[in-house]
Amino acid sequence: MVGFLAGLLDAAVRASTVFIFAALGEIISERGGVLNLGVEGMMLVGALGGFATTVVTGSYWLGFAVGALLGVAFALIHAVLCITLKSSQVISGIMLTLLGTGLTTYFGQSWVDESIDGFPQMTLPIVGDYLVEIPVIGEALFRSTAPDFIALALVPLVWWFLFRTNLGLEVTAVGEDPETADTMGVDVFKTRYLCVLLGGAFAGMAGAHLSLAFSQLWVPGMVAGRGWIAVALVIFAQWRPERALVGAYLFGLLDALQLRSQGIDLSLGAEAPLASVVNPVLDILLHPTIMATYPYIATIAVLVFTVVRLDGGRYGAPAALLDPYSRETD
Amino acid sequence: MPRWLVYGTPVFTVVAALAVSAVALVALSVDPVAAYSEMFVATLTDPFGLRQTAVRAVPLVLTGLAVYLPLRAGLWNVGAEGQLYAGAVVGTWLGLNVELPMVALLPLAVLGAAVAGGLWAGIPGYLKAKWDVNEIITTLLLTFVATEIANYLVQGPMQGGRGNFPVTDLLPPAATFPQIPGLDVHVGFLLALAAVVATYVVVRRTRLGFEVTVVGSNPLAAAQAGMSTSRVYLLVFLVGGAFAGIAGFSEIAGVQDRLRQDFSPGYGFTAIPIALLGRNGAARVLLAALFFALIFVGGARLEVSFGVPAALIDVIQALVILFLITAEFFKRYAVDVEVEREPTTAGGEA
Repeated sequence: MVGFLAGLLDAAVRASTVFIFAALGEIISERGGVLNLGVEGMMLVGALGGFATTVVTGSYWLGFAVGALLGVAFALIHAVLCITLKSSQVISGIMLTLLGTGLTTYFGQSWVDESIDGFPQMTLPIVGDYLVEIPVIGEALFRSTAPDFIALALVPLVWWFLFRTNLGLEVTAVGEDPETADTMGVDVFKTRYLCVLLGGAFAGMAGAHLSLAFSQLWVPGMVAGRGWIAVALVIFAQWRPERALVGAYLFGLLDALQLRSQGIDLSLGAEAPLASVVNPVLDILLHPTIMATYPYIATIAVLVFTVVRLDGGRYGAPAALLDPYSRETD
Repeated sequence: MPRWLVYGTPVFTVVAALAVSAVALVALSVDPVAAYSEMFVATLTDPFGLRQTAVRAVPLVLTGLAVYLPLRAGLWNVGAEGQLYAGAVVGTWLGLNVELPMVALLPLAVLGAAVAGGLWAGIPGYLKAKWDVNEIITTLLLTFVATEIANYLVQGPMQGGRGNFPVTDLLPPAATFPQIPGLDVHVGFLLALAAVVATYVVVRRTRLGFEVTVVGSNPLAAAQAGMSTSRVYLLVFLVGGAFAGIAGFSEIAGVQDRLRQDFSPGYGFTAIPIALLGRNGAARVLLAALFFALIFVGGARLEVSFGVPAALIDVIQALVILFLITAEFFKRYAVDVEVEREPTTAGGEA
């Protein structure tokens, strides 16, 4: 049982890194007022670009950087369309996911058979060698790949950036009330560009982590909906980085459970009361495919719950989310 | 707005998207002229290609309307894909488990699919109407819930056929769509056409359609005029979802004959650019759906004869959207300039 738990925890932590990267990026973008539904596409280009670079150059760090840059390139399209041309953020995002899926499937076929030595396993620098000895959680938390540790470090960094720096407060300002922010001298357009591009970089890193550290291979469509889960996660986390970390672990745990659901047996004994009703229901609820719906259902539940509780009031979403800003006074 | 701009934009959009996609063809050393002529000219001059395009258009028209109707009311239904799966599951289940003659079974299955799709879309519709919960997020997330549930069903309870594949049994003949006599296109095509006509009539010729349009262009004014925005919101989602549900079952009953895992190549997502291209009328939704059907069929031919990955279809689709929304900006800009010149003629279409 301890072995099973440790393994499960380890898999959950590994699966959560992708969500941490992508959700942090989405939080920054949305806090600036721009919804990014293109994460899935940006993750795919980051995954393929990072993988191909690593195959060619042999350097996984270079691959990781290229993945982030490709995410930025895609985000630039999103920024131009949504901020400068004031197009619908929904349409632009879905277009980018379609474009990313199409391009990476189209050009990615020839990279499927390549293999790489991805990021090696390491312990957390300095203290990791001692901490891995902690039973059950030690290995899971302190032996990982470098991007896993980077993702963890980014959580307090993004929190600090958003809530403790001038620039971060300006981000919140342009996401809540761009007119006022503009009056106060904040460059709304520049700030929003920064948010969207940062979001793209994070999504690209999420993708590169997936192909270079998590799976160490490339398959078309390998992001497999994780980008959409990241979008859900941001709502689940109510646009706060520290809650996104908790959410990422929860969704990562679900991800890990799906692969191991055969190992879980919660069913009642045959003679227990209600066993004939409870057991089939449990079978359905613990089916890996049904478990894949939980992140979405949980997010909708959180969304509805907060909206209902606040009776139609604000539910943590940036007030100017989805609104393009224009300076004309008509 | 000048006439050439109204009709020129979709044409420009498509030409630009194809021109940029040509780069992807050249990158795989395929001659773009030969490829596009295979994709479009050959498909359109060949009866088989035309039939395939008509068949492909059925789910695209219906899901296109599923996005178009809420869009008329100012709402985004980005979850037509999930509503399509809901309809496919319920329609297929009825077709497999109810024993009736075709004249009764088919209408029952279509109705069941419509109810399933409508209810699935009704959840976000209700949440929007009642508590103003953002419909973009709920429709999107419910799509993944629907596809996973459908996957579960074809892997488990509804799994059938030989072997252990994630498919159901074949539908009995009484539950499959017959062909339109002489055309070799299944009757789902007529259903799709009927849906277009019905949508057109309701939106353009009835009080209800007028309310939908007013709510879509100015919800505050609509409320002040005594219209119930929540009733309109719920209604467009119920009806839109019903169309998407029928799309799902018609794809099973008309083309695939059994429900399989991931049977839809994203019809419900292609529906979004279709509704965007056809935003100004149900007839234009039909045209846009036929165009995307042509891209689907032509793209498949390209894969067979030139070895070009079918993913080119996604790239072309994405580029059509990209250029479309770019053109929208310049169109708005052009209209602004015009309005400034002649303030009395201001006021374009919604």
